[in-house]
Amino acid sequence: MSILHINEVTKVYEGKVTKRALNQLSFEVEKGEFVAIMGPSGSGKTTLLNMISMVDMPTSGEIIFDGTKPQTLNSEQLAYFRRRQLGFVFQDFNLLPMLSVEENIILPLTLDEQPISVMEERLQSLSRKLDLTAILQKRPNEISGGQAQRTAIARALIHEPTIILADEPTGNLDSNASREVLQLLGKVNKENGATIVMVTHDPIAASFCDRVLFIKDGEFFNEIYQDDRQQTFFQRILNVLSLLGGHVGDFSSIRLP
Amino acid sequence: MTFLQFAYRNVFRNFRNYAAFFMASFFSVFVFFIYSMVMFHPEIERGFLGEVSIAGMVLAEVILVLFSWFFIFYSMRAFLEARAKEFAIFVHLGMSRHQLSKLIFIETMTIGILSCITGILFGFAFSKFFFMIVREILNLAELPLYLSWEPFLLTLFVYLSAFTVISVISIIFTPNIKIIDVLKGPKIVDVSDAYSKKQAFLGIFLIIVGYFLALITTKSSIFNYTLLVPIFVTLGTYFFFTDTTLYFMDLIKRRKQYYWKKSRMLAIAEQVQIVRGNSGMFFIVTLVSTMAFLTVGILSAMSSYTSQYDKLNPLGMVYKGEIDNPYEREHIVELIESLEDNGISYQMTRFSVKRQTSSFTSNPVEVFRETDINHLLFSYNYPLVNLKSGEAMFIPYSEDSIKELKNKVVETTLIENNVQLTINSVYPKMFFPTAIISSNSIIISDEDYEYLIKPFAHYLNLQPGYHLFTFDIPKWMETKEIGVGIHQMVAREYVLNDRYSLPFYYENTGLNYSYILATYSLFTLVGILVVAVFLLASGSFVYFKLYANLDQKKKQFNMLKRIGLTDREMKKLVTRFLCIQFFLPWGLALLHSAFAFLVIQTVLHDVMNLSIVKEGVISFTLIGCIQVVYFFLIRWRYISHIRS
Repeated sequence: MSILHINEVTKVYEGKVTKRALNQLSFEVEKGEFVAIMGPSGSGKTTLLNMISMVDMPTSGEIIFDGTKPQTLNSEQLAYFRRRQLGFVFQDFNLLPMLSVEENIILPLTLDEQPISVMEERLQSLSRKLDLTAILQKRPNEISGGQAQRTAIARALIHEPTIILADEPTGNLDSNASREVLQLLGKVNKENGATIVMVTHDPIAASFCDRVLFIKDGEFFNEIYQDDRQQTFFQRILNVLSLLGGHVGDFSSIRLP
Repeated sequence: MTFLQFAYRNVFRNFRNYAAFFMASFFSVFVFFIYSMVMFHPEIERGFLGEVSIAGMVLAEVILVLFSWFFIFYSMRAFLEARAKEFAIFVHLGMSRHQLSKLIFIETMTIGILSCITGILFGFAFSKFFFMIVREILNLAELPLYLSWEPFLLTLFVYLSAFTVISVISIIFTPNIKIIDVLKGPKIVDVSDAYSKKQAFLGIFLIIVGYFLALITTKSSIFNYTLLVPIFVTLGTYFFFTDTTLYFMDLIKRRKQYYWKKSRMLAIAEQVQIVRGNSGMFFIVTLVSTMAFLTVGILSAMSSYTSQYDKLNPLGMVYKGEIDNPYEREHIVELIESLEDNGISYQMTRFSVKRQTSSFTSNPVEVFRETDINHLLFSYNYPLVNLKSGEAMFIPYSEDSIKELKNKVVETTLIENNVQLTINSVYPKMFFPTAIISSNSIIISDEDYEYLIKPFAHYLNLQPGYHLFTFDIPKWMETKEIGVGIHQMVAREYVLNDRYSLPFYYENTGLNYSYILATYSLFTLVGILVVAVFLLASGSFVYFKLYANLDQKKKQFNMLKRIGLTDREMKKLVTRFLCIQFFLPWGLALLHSAFAFLVIQTVLHDVMNLSIVKEGVISFTLIGCIQVVYFFLIRWRYISHIRS
């Protein structure tokens, strides 16, 4: 069952220089799927994410989200839609410096005015699962990058959203922390059945997903599905990337022995 | 593109960024110029502004200059802070420290010169309007506009030098810009919310002690410890902002049931950060606003005093002399002649007052004769007194005493001459000024007065009576020139000797009034401008601080919007967070000034029998309204900045 349906979405930025950021892009995301969206810089990945999270509206085409069309909602309803259906993980974490880790995590519930007991219960189970129990009382500037991103993931999960949108979640992390975070996302995806759409540059990050979707210059380019081994999946991602990087037929430098 | 062009284009193509700094400078120049226009007014030397003293005005001007320098300096700092990222890019591209200083200097001077010119132009355009207000307040016949080079030159000189000095100072104090810090984005501010519990309590304690001292102040104790009150309250305010507020926030934070609800958590955590980072600013704003409020309060008190002046002092002139006063004849003749020379109509009454001892209180009582009193009452057009033998009437010494004495009946005997009296009424209006007669004064019938032959014998050092000459003068404001010599003798005696030993006392309401009016005028002139600058400055401090942190806040709100903060909630959050920044210092300032007012009120009530409660309430309400308007103005600007 598809939970997110992107149908012929086009986005044109009008201005002194008109730019077509997305061009008749269509794809679907199934429930419980972990999808990575890859593409070179300027290919429209972030624009796409903005469309899905409804901070920006498509010029044409439609986005159907679990049977509803968020485009038709007014801004008030949209905010409620975002706070209940969507979870966000940002590249630079975007934790609020004045709140403690624990407070950062429960922020979406606070906005949604949930009872305190619910907050505490979910906080407890999540922090155990994400191994945050020890740092709950700390401030964002007192924890490491990996811990910060785990906190951000906890924040994205706490309100049990329909879909989690991650924008380069490993962009600011070293390889160990990256792996940790990606494994965590994978675990969340498997165990909680959370649907995750992740935009990334990093082929290693993409290799943790079920499916990788490539876009180029705002258009659909290719998609590949995970196989048994992560290593071969990674290799296949690189193959596509090498095609994506330049004109078809060029050698990607990474492929040279 | 030369360097100069670069700096110039920087300013003029980004004028929005420079607007806040420009407005602060512009307004300082504007106010200063108008003030100089008043100060250099050609009529002022001819005494047109009443007795407003030039020295006082110059002093006020100096205070104004110092404050506006500080204000400009502060806004400049905030402005430079907000532009740190831009500077980092310049440095990144290879601009040397020297060039950067040059850039800042040229930009500041451009803004400075621009604000000087516009400030002076607007100032000149509005000075006629301001003159009209001054004319109305001071009751002047006219205050024409004039053109002379002095105010222009003074303003230009003061502010151009100010901008030079301030830009040099801020260049010196700009720390070395570390490119890496700035390019990484807004640095994470230190959010430790550590506070000292001891100081938190000390803050509250000092403020409460200050208030308590203010509350128990009376006329007699005012000089003992009232000076301690401002010290206590100032220190207390400082600790209040550095520690006490954080302590309270912490208390709230511990109550999750409350703290985690709605967007309270965000708002409160935000507050902690704001209070932590800006306690110095809050402290200054509180002090500055307290001063502004007090000025307004004192002004309104003075205006009420001047407008009630003739009611409190029904007599134009009063001359009081002991029975054996050797100057009596000479002085009275002098006064009468000078009244007649000036063509002022008057009604003189001579009282011969006898002191007797009352058996009821065994204290001295001053006895007035019915006929004398009626003579005075007749000139006032007040109802006359009609007493039978054995009857007496209280003379009220203050408005409150009328109520007090109304239902009092006293049976007493004047011991020296064994005259029995029943004092059973009070005259329903005041007809003597407060301090002239004793609080124990009565009127008796002419028949009884004849019996008072034996002199007062209770205290040896107290005279057996005195002579009182009252001059009822309808045009009492014109008596400024009458009896100046006598007035000076009295004044000198008051100042030089501890004990008043002259055998006479003279009071000229018109002359006193002219002094009071002069002080009042000076305070008004100074007060209006100072209050305007203070109020604007205190609000602007907050605004500049907000402006400097705008980028970071924008990013934060953007993130919150993504995780589903509605527009309405965003506004609510902004309102809350601005609210505290505005109304916490102002509220405290209001509280401070309310207590200061209480002191003034008790003292004034004791000394002059004057109530300023009404004026106080009115002026505070007015200030409150201005601040609410100001708050919404800044909130509107801020929200539109955040959204852009």
